[in-house]
Amino acid sequence: MNHRQQIKQFVLRNYLFTEDENAVADGDSLIRNGTIDSTGMLELISHLEDSYSIKVADVEMVPANFDSIDAITAYVASKLPA
Amino acid sequence: MDLLPSRLEGNARSAPDRRAITHGARSIDYATLWSSACAFAGWLHGQGILPGERVALILPNCIEAIVACYGSWLAGAVIVPLNAQAKARDFAPWLQHADVRVVVYEADQRDVPAALSMLDTRPIALIVGENAAPPDAAAWLHAMQATPLAQVVVPDADALAMILYTSGTTGRPKGVMLSHANMAANASAIIEYLALDASDSIVTVLPFYYSYGASVLHTHLAVGDNLVIVWYLVFPLLLVESLARERATGFSGVPSTFVLLLNRVPLEKHDLSALRYVTQAGGAMAPATTTRLRAALPQARIFIMYGQTEATARLTRLPPEWIDSKQGSVGLPIAGVEIEIRDETGQRAAPFVIGDVHARGPNVMLGYWRDPEASAAVLRDGWLHTGDMGYLDADGCLFLAGRRSDMIKTGAHRVHPNDVEEAIIELPGIVEIAVIGVDDDTLGQVIKAFVVIDEGAGLTTERIKAHCRERLASYKIPKFIETVATLPKTASGKVRRAELVAATEQRKAP
Repeated sequence: MNHRQQIKQFVLRNYLFTEDENAVADGDSLIRNGTIDSTGMLELISHLEDSYSIKVADVEMVPANFDSIDAITAYVASKLPA
Repeated sequence: MDLLPSRLEGNARSAPDRRAITHGARSIDYATLWSSACAFAGWLHGQGILPGERVALILPNCIEAIVACYGSWLAGAVIVPLNAQAKARDFAPWLQHADVRVVVYEADQRDVPAALSMLDTRPIALIVGENAAPPDAAAWLHAMQATPLAQVVVPDADALAMILYTSGTTGRPKGVMLSHANMAANASAIIEYLALDASDSIVTVLPFYYSYGASVLHTHLAVGDNLVIVWYLVFPLLLVESLARERATGFSGVPSTFVLLLNRVPLEKHDLSALRYVTQAGGAMAPATTTRLRAALPQARIFIMYGQTEATARLTRLPPEWIDSKQGSVGLPIAGVEIEIRDETGQRAAPFVIGDVHARGPNVMLGYWRDPEASAAVLRDGWLHTGDMGYLDADGCLFLAGRRSDMIKTGAHRVHPNDVEEAIIELPGIVEIAVIGVDDDTLGQVIKAFVVIDEGAGLTTERIKAHCRERLASYKIPKFIETVATLPKTASGKVRRAELVAATEQRKAP
């Protein structure tokens, strides 16, 4: 399973409580549609830090990095060694 | 006393070009805000809306929500702000109960159209965010092009201004009725103790559809401030950057707001020197959080406050200089308000004796909408029975000591356990359900459900949460679900929630 799939699974299971991959599109805003609220975002960040051994800096907590599965996938990829 | 629409009109005349609202890249000055409200009033008039009829506002914090609010008042209508995060199962009973004539909502709202289809009589729908509305609705742009009322009439002080639903998507919805005089009185008292004037500006994250957020909105518009709407509490750094960039002089939050900020953002690294006051309401904040907040914002005066929707918003505030000497107190009554503690016999209790908190003042509601029985239960002899327990010290400072009701406070939200229980019990295989609030370091409380499951149903926790997701706003979905064989009950069959709470706390103890 690649990173995108792993991240999507986490979002589906923990915020939408489903395994239906059609429940959210990779480009959908997770914040705007209410999928993730402020505490949910902290849980997501904690999960990413644990799962990928990365450190999310405060300045990186912005919509460009976390507002969609696409954005999160790209962000995680940028944090991992090439 | 000037009513809120009069104060807005005054600001539009005296400072027409001053920024009233900033929302992302958009902003609106006082003259344009006023003329837009007049246009909205004209549109309502053109739709045949009469004074006293209800206009539901189902909107996140945005400029349009404010235009529709003041425009409705100028047309003599009553606003019914509803939680924009709610679901169709919430909206339908609220809209039915308030007997609304107009519903204003955003184009991407899916639950409102579903709720409208459930109503006996379909209200007029006005959609924000699209220039062209579907055939059965009107577009916001169209409303803004309406001919403004030839003569704006400021409503009577005693006329109903707003109905705020505090709970009750199941059973009886409880709509708090607030008059224009209620709102003006509470705004004036808040303006006085915060010493607000036109040089202030505030960044707000609190939803306008709750009484706390509404009071922040109206007090700042009344003095001619710039109010900056931000939605990104989910990104605390951006919020703090907004406070610095806008040179905000004020910020208001609930305990979880401050926990998030303190835990995620090094506040000392940002220039918040303009921030002269911070207000906190919405439940007790841990003294340790208050101490951290004071250390992080040494220049800001921190106001700990207490109130209720039934009292428009605010009842007491602790003078900032008393935070150390009166730790744990929510302070003194605000101007015009009296607080009295009564014992079990209904007599006035002596200082330091815990009893029922009663309040009286010009901000106390008219009653619950179309519910004289519920109104009579809390409004007695001119006093509001708050449902909270507490005592007064020798200086008249109020200390809260619990609440008689089961209401759960999670973040900025209030959740009645029944709302969650009714949704979960609809799932086949659930035999019994009880919902409680359990302590949480960030949110104050989170929701926990105890379920008795039919063994043959094969229900999982995930399945129950998925069921909730379809029916409940996200903040109402239980964080924890525990399967139990039976629920503790009284002899009459009522679930003993207190026993479930105690058992949960006991297990958490070291």
